[in-house]
Amino acid sequence: MISTETFLIAVLALPFVGSCLAILFKANARNAEAYLAGVVALVALVLVLLTYPRVLDGGVLEYRAAWVPELGLELSLRMDGLAWLLAVLVTGIGFLVVLYARYYMSPSDPVPRFFSFLLAFAGAMLGIVLSGNLIQLVFFWELTSLFSFLLIGYWHQNAQARDGARMALIITAAGGLCLFAGVLILGHIVGSYDLDRILASGATIRAHSLYLPALILILLGALTKSAQFPFHFWLPHAMAAPTPVSAYLHSATLVKAGVFLLVRLWPALGGTNEWLWLVASAGLITFILGAFIAVFQQDLKGLLAYSTISHLGLITVLIGLDTPLGQVAAIFHIVNHATFKASLFMAAGIIDHEAGTRDIRRLSGLWRFMPITATLAMVAAAAMAGVPLMNGFLSKEMFFAETIEIHDNSIVDQMLPYIVTAASMFTVAYSLRFILDVFFGPDPERLPRRPAEPPFLMRLPAELLVLICVVVGMAPALTIGPPLATAVRAVLGPVVPPYSLAVWHGFTPEFLMSLVAIAGGATIYVLLRPYLRVYSGLPLLQHINGQRIFDRVLLVVSWRLARRLESLLGTRRLQPQLQILVCAALVAGLAPLYVRGIGPTVSPQTTFDLVFAVIWAVGIACALAAAYQAKFHRLAALMLVGAAGLVTCISFVWLSAPDLALTQLVVETVTTVLLLLGLRWLPKRIQESRPNGTGGRLIRWYRVRDFAIAVASGSCLAALAYAIMTHPPPERISGYFVENAYNKGGGTNIVNVILVDFRAFDTLGEITVLGIVALTVFALLRRFRPAAESIPVPGQQRVQDLFDDASETRQRGDTVKSTMAVPAVMMTALFPVIGIAALYLLLRGHDLPGGGFVAGVMMATAFILQYMARGTIWVEAHLRVLPVRWMGTGLVMAAGVGAAAWFFNRPFLTSSVRYLDVPWVGAVPFASAMLFDVGVFALVVGATVLMLIAIAHQSLRSTRTPRPVSSTVALDESPWAKVP
Amino acid sequence: MEIVLALAIGVLTASGVWLILRPRTFQVIIGLSLLSYAVNLFILVMGRLSSNAAPILPIRAAGDPTQFADPLPQALVLTAIVISFATTALFLVVLLASRGLTGTDHVDGRESER
Amino acid sequence: MSSFADHLTIAPVVLPLFAAAIMLALGGDHRVLNATLNVGSTAALIAIAIVLLRAADAAPLGLSAVYRLGNWPLPFGIDLVLDRLAAIMLLLASVLGLAAVVFSLARWHRVGAYFHPLVQLLLMGINGAFLTGDLFNLFVFFEVLLAASYGLALHGSGSARVMAGMHYIVVNLVASLLFLIGVSLIYGVAGTLNMADLAARIPTIRSEDRALLEAGAGILGIAFLVKAGMWPLCFWLPDTYAAAPPPVAALFAILTKVGVYILLRLWPLLFGGQAGAAGYFGGEGLLVGGLATVAFGAIGILASQDLARLASYSVLVSSGTVLAAIGMERTGMTGGALFYLVSSTLGLAALFLLIELVERGREPGADMLAVTRELYGEEHELEDTTHIGLVLPITMGVLGLAFICCALVLAGLPPLSGFIGKFALLTAALNPQADTISVAAWCFIAVLILSGLSTLIAMTRSGINVFWASPDRTVPRVRAIETVPVVALILLCAVQTIEAGPMMRFMYATAESLHAPNQYVRSVLGSAGEAPKSQRVDQ
Repeated sequence: MISTETFLIAVLALPFVGSCLAILFKANARNAEAYLAGVVALVALVLVLLTYPRVLDGGVLEYRAAWVPELGLELSLRMDGLAWLLAVLVTGIGFLVVLYARYYMSPSDPVPRFFSFLLAFAGAMLGIVLSGNLIQLVFFWELTSLFSFLLIGYWHQNAQARDGARMALIITAAGGLCLFAGVLILGHIVGSYDLDRILASGATIRAHSLYLPALILILLGALTKSAQFPFHFWLPHAMAAPTPVSAYLHSATLVKAGVFLLVRLWPALGGTNEWLWLVASAGLITFILGAFIAVFQQDLKGLLAYSTISHLGLITVLIGLDTPLGQVAAIFHIVNHATFKASLFMAAGIIDHEAGTRDIRRLSGLWRFMPITATLAMVAAAAMAGVPLMNGFLSKEMFFAETIEIHDNSIVDQMLPYIVTAASMFTVAYSLRFILDVFFGPDPERLPRRPAEPPFLMRLPAELLVLICVVVGMAPALTIGPPLATAVRAVLGPVVPPYSLAVWHGFTPEFLMSLVAIAGGATIYVLLRPYLRVYSGLPLLQHINGQRIFDRVLLVVSWRLARRLESLLGTRRLQPQLQILVCAALVAGLAPLYVRGIGPTVSPQTTFDLVFAVIWAVGIACALAAAYQAKFHRLAALMLVGAAGLVTCISFVWLSAPDLALTQLVVETVTTVLLLLGLRWLPKRIQESRPNGTGGRLIRWYRVRDFAIAVASGSCLAALAYAIMTHPPPERISGYFVENAYNKGGGTNIVNVILVDFRAFDTLGEITVLGIVALTVFALLRRFRPAAESIPVPGQQRVQDLFDDASETRQRGDTVKSTMAVPAVMMTALFPVIGIAALYLLLRGHDLPGGGFVAGVMMATAFILQYMARGTIWVEAHLRVLPVRWMGTGLVMAAGVGAAAWFFNRPFLTSSVRYLDVPWVGAVPFASAMLFDVGVFALVVGATVLMLIAIAHQSLRSTRTPRPVSSTVALDESPWAKVP
Repeated sequence: MEIVLALAIGVLTASGVWLILRPRTFQVIIGLSLLSYAVNLFILVMGRLSSNAAPILPIRAAGDPTQFADPLPQALVLTAIVISFATTALFLVVLLASRGLTGTDHVDGRESER
Repeated sequence: MSSFADHLTIAPVVLPLFAAAIMLALGGDHRVLNATLNVGSTAALIAIAIVLLRAADAAPLGLSAVYRLGNWPLPFGIDLVLDRLAAIMLLLASVLGLAAVVFSLARWHRVGAYFHPLVQLLLMGINGAFLTGDLFNLFVFFEVLLAASYGLALHGSGSARVMAGMHYIVVNLVASLLFLIGVSLIYGVAGTLNMADLAARIPTIRSEDRALLEAGAGILGIAFLVKAGMWPLCFWLPDTYAAAPPPVAALFAILTKVGVYILLRLWPLLFGGQAGAAGYFGGEGLLVGGLATVAFGAIGILASQDLARLASYSVLVSSGTVLAAIGMERTGMTGGALFYLVSSTLGLAALFLLIELVERGREPGADMLAVTRELYGEEHELEDTTHIGLVLPITMGVLGLAFICCALVLAGLPPLSGFIGKFALLTAALNPQADTISVAAWCFIAVLILSGLSTLIAMTRSGINVFWASPDRTVPRVRAIETVPVVALILLCAVQTIEAGPMMRFMYATAESLHAPNQYVRSVLGSAGEAPKSQRVDQ
């Protein structure tokens, strides 16, 4: 025998499981879907009913499972009287709605979606009802919003459905977020999100300074969900949903979640003036407004929607009145409203289904066509109007009684009975209208379909619900009495004020109010009837359209304003970004100096050296000139930068960093070659005349600003550098390298040992970067479309070609050949020399300046020289370099040397040193690190060559000169022409 | 000497920053190379200055740290040089491609409405 | 330093390196081979990451291995440090990697050269950045991942990509220069590059040098914030991510998190509790900047027409939230932030992949039409108002469901992990112990909730336009190999919700060890080990 606690988890899980199954069915599996959903709902209902004995006398069923203990979050299901009543409502009406939907939905409707969402919603709703933890409640709360969105948008091909769905989602979900915040504050106050603890510590909450914000936020959640003023307008637009959805979500369950929450939290939050005023006034306005607007609706479902709003307002008023009996009446009316409103929606759906329209003006005299449906509708409408012997009457009596009570004895409080009576007249009026206009009067003309009774099973749900209305109305004490008592007890605790569920209390004031309401309602209807027949829309309120306001606001805030702010707070241009970046760095760098001061400086260690100063004077001049020339005289700028680079080189030497000098030199060379090759594709800029006037002034201002930024950053970096140079050095880790470079690294060139051994991992990464960039350059150039202006053959070459074409002895390109003849020979001769030099640098790198990188770049330059000398075609025809393979091999080698250490069970890149006797050279320290350096060498050669050649190749692509066949062959088998 | 180097770094930086704030891609690439010179020098001087003290052991034995220039910044600069070389090449190609695709050498791919 | 497990520490870096190197050594253009290598290596990375994760979680201080490269003693050599934070980030990265790679196999790996090696090298860079314990080595790995990301962002060329790529490259080049300046300043003052050693030395820094140290740290911080995409240093991000090929963009979802990770790693370590006078400097800045980022991201989300930009701005929201949370300097916040980071990154990756599938079936400019419809109200009469639902093709059904899930994750709505993450952050901000709640906390809560709302609004709008408002749209031709990664990522979010308990415990443990940096220092420098001469082959 399973414990009853497990029922709870079963009740919660069933609908979700069912929903997952339902989505899997075929699109036209209407019956299967209906059976599945029906069974699920029925089983859930039975399970809930079975738990009744446990909650009967104030008992509470609890199921707890740990979820996120760190956050005080656990899966906690909690069934008490109130939850039980609501659960019965959700599952019971759920079952009936499923049955109804089976016949309502057209056979060609893709019902799997529908039933799946419906079941999922039921599950979420049960989750709200059964939550024993407020965060969990919020969790399911938002889920209900989501599924109601999906259900409203079920017929998403028409725009009303989409708009209605969107509005409903945004409003209820936003409310849900407010509720979330409110609950978080509650949790902050109480120190727990557990429902029991929160209900227990009402006094603390009400006393706390954050009570009001929490209350307001939670109310925002509840009122949006229950479509209370001023958030009521989403509900009528939700009527675009299929009628079963309206019957289930938007009358019986979803919209009840808000008022349910209020009743739930009343013990914790209620009992203050804020509560009385906020809740009661919102409810009262909604009650009146809803009833008033409902009268003027022409769409059956619209009428029902507004009447739902008004009834929810009534319930809210009851809760807001802040008395125990108020809560009793509220709970009672929640149940009653669910029953009669659901049946009314079903009736409306039947009419729509059978007659083909829901427009009250077109409908009339349906009594003769569908007597049974008419009867049902009439009884339900009577309940809605609060006619005696109906359940609606009882709760309404209680309501009137409550309004008569004195609460805070303000004007409003004294007026209350009269106000509500007046409002109730409209309730009666629209109920009458629903009945008389639709079912009586002459036969309807030009209806889309000829109305008839629906199939029995489609009526059955409505019949059952109406039956409940009547039975409860006749014998309340026997039927609803006990469960209501348990529910009330769950809210009020053991001490429940006396209330009687008798049909007849004698001629009490409230009975009088009922009579007045009915009479008044009848007169209003009679007076308005002729006017309503023709008139569409609302008198005096018609210009206030919640939806339009909502749409406008949403559009302005979420679109126009956002666009403006985006362009205001952001930019898509590069220069502002760089300015911001530089300035941010300036602030970050200068702020500490400003705060703490730069500290005392010791006297410089090095003496002033005039030569060096002069050299740098030149360097500085070059830099400035480059900055000035870069826009129009690119070549000049390039040369000047190169000069600055050379000066840097020299100062590296001076600063006793030979390796740096060497590397800088070769890199300088290659970079320049690259840029030169690139310049070919960068059309010349023609100096345009400076714009004057405002434009010119603006540009001048920009220049001034940028100049200021530049000067500031320059002086900032200079200051930092000077400060460091004149501060005594700290105790540095580099000492270790000096001491152990030879003993443990097996090399005397400390820098190189650091690169290939102590910090070889850096080098590995560094060459990887080089490789990646080479690949990127290649990939990008394969798709390269040169600038249109730069496609024609350069002027000089054109002249030469013309010259060649002119003389019949020569053919194209001879001039170039002849002019290049001498250099070509020299460069060709240079190839082996440079090769040897590179090899030498590579080998000696471990002990003297040099190393894999320098050697690699040098080797690459050797290749480039060949290209310069003989031209791409010749070179590729004669020697095949496969740069990508070089790179790959280099990487494998470098990484492999590192990985080899694993076989000696040492960490990656652990090197070993031994000495080899090389003929002529003598004993050479051979460290495995040098193999690593060879890997570096290979990769650098590959990468550099790949980049240089990829650019060099563009000239072959774009020139229109016919290429010799041989070369094209060579090209096709050369790797960079291959298209992977 | 420190003052000269500081000045040099300053001027290189200033002209580099000025250039990367310009609207033409070629100016930006020139500026980036100037900046990388400045940064390389900056890194180097973080090891303090010392001339004629190249970190190369004269004899095959353990060295005395006080006798040599700080080798670590040099190693860092070497890495930095390589990387800046690579990125310069990449940026060059990107600017060529953008010139080809957009028909302008403005950094935003279209002449600004300045 | 002997067991297999120790060597496994470096596998996340070396494995992709070898994979890529082999691809290149074989010429780099055998597509089938490369794809196989790529998928295999990435899958292996996931397995390795899981092993490492378990190891780290089992270890006493949550720090399971200090791997000294070249067997050099610390702080002289370079070290990799494997702790909980590194492990979880490794796992996240490799999961994203696999999703992106599998997705790309359908078509994207064909649109340009060398896709597969570049992906592997990107993963290498990311993993290295997560693992390394050395400041300059961090720079190197940043460059590796950046270079690879440049390549991938430009994958397939095209003017949009090239322009966005250029901005991306220039900004990050400058940021890299700042990185170098910062690192070298720190070395010039503190004389070390090892993070742990640095943390140990900072309290002993001479007071007159402290200004320079902080200047270095500040400049370094700017470099990281550019990567993390903090406002106002983040304008390059939306264009780049929106222009990048979808699988690449999905992979990039982790890149901003690398910047965030480094801040998480270094900032408490260097300027945490025991850093003496320095204290948590810049904390407020981080908080304010983070909030500004979230706000800007939320605005951008609302203001963006096409889904790709929307997703890119969501990246900002996500990383901004984490930054702000770190700025609050509380263990609870950091723990929540980590949980949120994981879930939002997964969600973003899924969204980036999904967008491409969804947009496939639509004519360009559909979004513009949608917006105009928003502006001038829907034209109802044009719509058919038949009350019979449309039969959705199964593809659209799956895509729609996936879209809803992504929206839920990013907006922080139930039932997926986004809600838990957001709740963890908010409840930590409200911090039930303290009586008073700081103004900062209030701002944090407000901004977080509002950003969620704006995400919801924007995604509802575009979701309706994409899935509902165009019933006659052509159904995109989508291959299973493309949907599987999306679904898998979303399922991971679901798992994260169900397993929220253990995961949250893990995150809190991570946060605690982050906020107790001297443990880290002790365990790293403790394992220094003198350079073992005996282990070297003698001369």
